[in-house]
Amino acid sequence: MRTGIMLLLLGLVAASLAMGSIGCGAATGTLQFYANGEDFVRQGFESKDGWDIDFDHIYVTLAEVKGYHTDPAYDAHEDGATINGKVTAALAGTHTVDLAAGGADADPILVGEVTDAKVAQYNAISWKMINATSGDANGYSLVIIGTATKGEDNVDFTIKVETEYAYYGGEFVGDVRLGVLEEGEAAELEMTFHFDHIFGDAETEADDELNTGAPGFQPFADLAVDEVLNINMAQIAADMDETAYGLLLDMLPTLGHVGEGHCHCEEI
Amino acid sequence: MGRRWLVLCSLSLFLALMLPVTAYAHGADIEYTISSDVEITATYDTGTPMDGGQVTIYAPNDPANPWQTGTCDAEGKYSFTPDPEIPGVWDVQVRLAGHGDIVHIDVAGGSSNGGSYSALQIVLMSVCMAWGFAGTALYFMRKRSAK
Repeated sequence: MRTGIMLLLLGLVAASLAMGSIGCGAATGTLQFYANGEDFVRQGFESKDGWDIDFDHIYVTLAEVKGYHTDPAYDAHEDGATINGKVTAALAGTHTVDLAAGGADADPILVGEVTDAKVAQYNAISWKMINATSGDANGYSLVIIGTATKGEDNVDFTIKVETEYAYYGGEFVGDVRLGVLEEGEAAELEMTFHFDHIFGDAETEADDELNTGAPGFQPFADLAVDEVLNINMAQIAADMDETAYGLLLDMLPTLGHVGEGHCHCEEI
Repeated sequence: MGRRWLVLCSLSLFLALMLPVTAYAHGADIEYTISSDVEITATYDTGTPMDGGQVTIYAPNDPANPWQTGTCDAEGKYSFTPDPEIPGVWDVQVRLAGHGDIVHIDVAGGSSNGGSYSALQIVLMSVCMAWGFAGTALYFMRKRSAK
């Protein structure tokens, strides 16, 4: 009888240990973080006020990039800056990437990856857009470099943003599902940037919320000298039309998306 | 008598563990309740219906692959019937012209995929469960032999 009880107890202990190892979530995979300026950035587009814009470089500096599994699912509109992740994968370091890198059909930019991320469905993400401390974007969180053309007019522009933002997004909304990480496999999360929110889009109705809320490019063109514009936010605040500047301040926090899903954003 | 009781108990336990929850004897009423339609209404922020919005539905047991796809009607509505044998959180995404959102609908109180078991863990669990059952069986067999 004693042997039977011992066997029974050993079985229960072993089962408990097995359940414990499950709780520890030993299974891992690789979680990759991408940044995507979409075709607007890679292929250029016409602003709401008729400027054809091509981008040479768009530098964003990303830090504290994290992916989360949340349950219940994080909602950017309701949960704000609070993401209660049951599982979290954090990308180490600060990364300056060029969203315009590659050709017109280039893939989104790989920012970095976490090779030992726990197996989970990563359905939320957060990141900070902070000022770079070196390189081409030194001193700025966002640098937009390109050329705008409208009829006979031409502007070579460099727009530099020194304001820093923290973005919090839920699940990626797009044509494929991202973030489902299986053991030994790789899964992706994406930080998507919508630059049509700043310049508007001629292919969208003029009275669409996207265009009525965007400053467009003309307020920037008005500040160019000899077809050149090199300006930062402090100078924009001083020189730009007040209404357009107000729209720009409203739109910069809306740059960050998860595919087509909106993010919660806070100025740092 | 004791052996018959043990066999009956074991069979009952086996049936309780292995049979699906669906009870055919309780028939249509329960099934209809479980499989009632879910209707969504997709609108833009302005309240305008997403006429023609592309709907993608993911079932709880396969979060990576669409379970069903479809299109919203002129009022932005779309209906579907979740498989009652797949309880949990059903995710429904609607997209149109660069706008989109995803909602998470809890059908029969499940939770989303917060971590799956590795092959090693599944094997380990199976071995431990078998070990536990073997220990229980040996205990009863030893007790019967002692009589």
